[in-house]
Amino acid sequence: MPLFMIAIFGYTFGGDLREVSVFIVNLDGEGANGSISASIIEDLATRDTLAIVSLIGPENASSSEVASAISKVEKGEIWAAIVFGEDFTESALEALGNMRQGMPAIPSEIVVHVDSSNPNVAQAVVGELQISLQKTLVSEYGLIPPIVIDENRVYGEGAEFIDFFAPGVMGLAAMMVTFMLSIVSFVHERSYGTLDRLLTTPVTEGEIVGGYALALGFIAFIQSCVILVTAIVAFNIQIVGNVLLALFTIFLLGIGSQGLGFLLSSNAKTEFQAVQFMPIVLFPSILLAGVFWPIEAIPDFLRPVSYFIPLTYAVEGCRSVMIRGWGIEEVWPQLLVLAAFAAAMLLLSTYSLKKRR
Amino acid sequence: MNMAAAEEEFAILTKDLRKEYDGLVAVSDLGLRIRKGTLYGMIGPNGSGKTTTIKMLVGLLRPTSGEAFLMGEKVPAVRNIDRIGYMPQEMGIYTDLSVHENLELFSDMYSIGKGDFRRREAELLGMIDLEERKGSLVSHLSGGMRHRVSLACALVHDPDLIFLDEPTVGVDPELRVGFWDHFRELRRRGKTIVLTTHYMDEAVRCDVVGMMRQGELIAEGTPSELMTVTGAGNLEDAFLSYAGRARA
Ligand SMILES: Nc1ncnc2c1ncn2[C@@H]1O[C@H](COP(=O)(O)OP(=O)(O)OP(=O)(O)O)[C@@H](O)[C@H]1O
Ligand SMILES: [Mg+2]
Repeated sequence: MPLFMIAIFGYTFGGDLREVSVFIVNLDGEGANGSISASIIEDLATRDTLAIVSLIGPENASSSEVASAISKVEKGEIWAAIVFGEDFTESALEALGNMRQGMPAIPSEIVVHVDSSNPNVAQAVVGELQISLQKTLVSEYGLIPPIVIDENRVYGEGAEFIDFFAPGVMGLAAMMVTFMLSIVSFVHERSYGTLDRLLTTPVTEGEIVGGYALALGFIAFIQSCVILVTAIVAFNIQIVGNVLLALFTIFLLGIGSQGLGFLLSSNAKTEFQAVQFMPIVLFPSILLAGVFWPIEAIPDFLRPVSYFIPLTYAVEGCRSVMIRGWGIEEVWPQLLVLAAFAAAMLLLSTYSLKKRR
Repeated sequence: MNMAAAEEEFAILTKDLRKEYDGLVAVSDLGLRIRKGTLYGMIGPNGSGKTTTIKMLVGLLRPTSGEAFLMGEKVPAVRNIDRIGYMPQEMGIYTDLSVHENLELFSDMYSIGKGDFRRREAELLGMIDLEERKGSLVSHLSGGMRHRVSLACALVHDPDLIFLDEPTVGVDPELRVGFWDHFRELRRRGKTIVLTTHYMDEAVRCDVVGMMRQGELIAEGTPSELMTVTGAGNLEDAFLSYAGRARA
């Protein structure tokens, strides 16, 4: 087990971002052959930091393509849309010519419509583009004409790492506290005989499970409020969306996590075994749910595991609400997953309590 | 047997009640008949199956085979659940709550009104002699005091059928006398009490004593009957004599 954890740690910690999904819209009038934009795109495609989901143009590309690419960023389907303008090659060549004659060069530009709700990802997109740009131009022309990368932040204008981090911490803290508290309290109930006593009162198994859920969900809620206030006061984080919706997301996560703790400890043979579940559940969540680094930085073979971790959805939902300003219309898939997780845990807990007899 | 008549007469009826744990027979084909209003004492060495029997009766353990009836209702007795009180052998109270909060919590579970609860609480605190410690956290109480709180919690809803698993362990002699006065008082009010004990001087004060050994009921009767039959001068010797006979 410890070896396994070290292995996961090593793999995820050192991990670079990979396969950040982008659209490229190339409106470059120069056409595919010999255009600078085409060379840059070719180079971009060779590195795996970016996954070019769709490459539009230069043939048949129009500004409506740009709009639809931007709307994909807005919907969170892709991280960025990279747009090369109509006269990109032309103006770059002109600038090159001017530079060779020692005349002032007018910069041409690449527009990147980027989702900066995750600053790391946004940085990676722009950074990769910059590298490709320089590599291509230096190798082909030996000179770098002024090309401006114009970053148009679709989300997260002014967002810093702390803004990205705060929702993650909120989710992780809520999950840890509710999960560990429910395991510890249930172990206590078992060994002190209070569970036996409860089960001989008219209180039903469902009521016991529901009581735990409400109590611990409430704790998660309060704790999140404290973290939020601290983050706002001490780190001046910005919250674009509805705070209540973010808190509700955490509340659902709290209920599900405590249910998982309850379920595991009621099925454990001994109290010791119950406590051992803690690292087994917490470690993957800490490492693979996108709390400290984005899911895109997690190695491919571990990424499916991320999608089995409820915290992943809570953190993503919370971030979308707080940084992107999304509402229920957009984050309902995450809420649905969390609600399903919570419901399943509560039902299974109730069932396992009944089965104990 | 006519169940309706049985319901009138017996608080507890079991037929071939049996519990096995992975091959280990904890309770073996037990046939108990305990009349209403009886103060029934279960004695027997450690591991003889007393706790297991009680847990099956209160519905915490599913019997491997056989069946049991409490006040005419087949176990698990859901319909009669608020007429049954149970004090587990483990403490069974919340150490991070105060005495009062524990009592209130369990009282709430039986949906007892505030007024009734206050009266009941005063009475029970008097019995366990902890009026002054009402607001203390259970974790700040001594072991014997916790035990007393646990007993009070089992009685908070004034049940008709009361299971007490070693209610007097760790309780000082003076208070033990007080407990027994209370048990007799409950019995006078028509309650049925089933308790386990390792103290023979307590067993003698029961109406009926059941002797268990290796999951079997080896003898049952009033203390004087048991002593007369075996010719023993005390219950301890009576038990040893029955145990010797069972072994033979
Ligand atoms: N959960 C369990 N799993 C396996 N065996 C058990 C379990 N609970 C009890 N036993 C076994 O069943 C037998 C009867 O135990 P039980 O607790 O009923 O004894 P008891 O008469 O109450 O003893 P004591 O006087 O020590 O309280 C013992 O041999 C015990 O080891
Ligand atoms: Mg016992």
